[in-house]
Amino acid sequence: MTVHAFHIFDRKGKTLFTKRYSSAVKNQPVQDVELLSEQRKLIFGMLFSLRELVGSLTPEGESPALQSVKTGAGTLHCYETISGLRIALYTNNNPNMGSTARNLDTSKTSFQNALKHIYSELWVDCVVRSPLYRPGDIQVDGHGNDVGRFDIRSTNFEKKLDAYLASMPWFR
Amino acid sequence: MGFLHLFIVNKSGGLILHRPLGQSAPRIGTNEWLRIGSTFHSLHAIAAEASPVKLPGNKNSAGADDGIEEIRGGGLILKCLQTRTGVKFVITAEPGTSDLDAVLREIYVLYSDCALKDPFYELEMPIRCELFTNAIDNLIEKVESGGFKTR
Repeated sequence: MTVHAFHIFDRKGKTLFTKRYSSAVKNQPVQDVELLSEQRKLIFGMLFSLRELVGSLTPEGESPALQSVKTGAGTLHCYETISGLRIALYTNNNPNMGSTARNLDTSKTSFQNALKHIYSELWVDCVVRSPLYRPGDIQVDGHGNDVGRFDIRSTNFEKKLDAYLASMPWFR
Repeated sequence: MGFLHLFIVNKSGGLILHRPLGQSAPRIGTNEWLRIGSTFHSLHAIAAEASPVKLPGNKNSAGADDGIEEIRGGGLILKCLQTRTGVKFVITAEPGTSDLDAVLREIYVLYSDCALKDPFYELEMPIRCELFTNAIDNLIEKVESGGFKTR
């Protein structure tokens, strides 16, 4: 089970944080920043539309939250907070999933729990509570050092995120 | 074991069948079904594009174009079977329903037996074949009563 990429989007679709892991992704031909940014916009648009779709198909009485989207190439796990922040995690497809219903449920909820933990313990603690945090003005890519913008690199977030993901049994 | 809906999308994104399969299926009007069908068709392709890792030639192991195979949400599982000809069979069910893949394959077999072999059926047009819909109902009944064995 490998993690390929990790993104955080705000309510309007702007990327707040993005990171690519795993050698499979790094070995792909180098893509420039524009292409990656376009790809992220695609991901956000897809998450947005999928939520509407799932909402109209879900029976009444159930909460229409999107948990995961699986394709032949990999699985996208998502978690959305009440404030509209979306966390997206790309992994490959676990061959063990689909064996028994019980295993299926625990592995899915463990992803949801992990993403929830990343939000509530890591993002809120490291980024939102940082005294330099400015919600409207986050500088993402680390290219160009605009003065006055809040840079995620000034917090511990990335290091703590890497440590947390590495501690998960499904990260390699 | 709660099946909700079945819908079939042709290769251009138009809806050719939609059918509620159980009691707890939410009632959805025809216009909204058409919208759901075409939205799903585009999102199916976008999901393969947006992935950081792509399969060679963008084809999955069955030779069909890669795309959404499964969506899990709170209270819903959606499974999609994309055939090489571009027809998508999509089934939704409550979480905990087993054998969704086998049911989808069986529906594909029923489609080729009832709809495709019907000399009056026009390809890519909405399916108006009682034989097909009766066969689907019988299949769902058989699965829910536990009498279905995967091939």
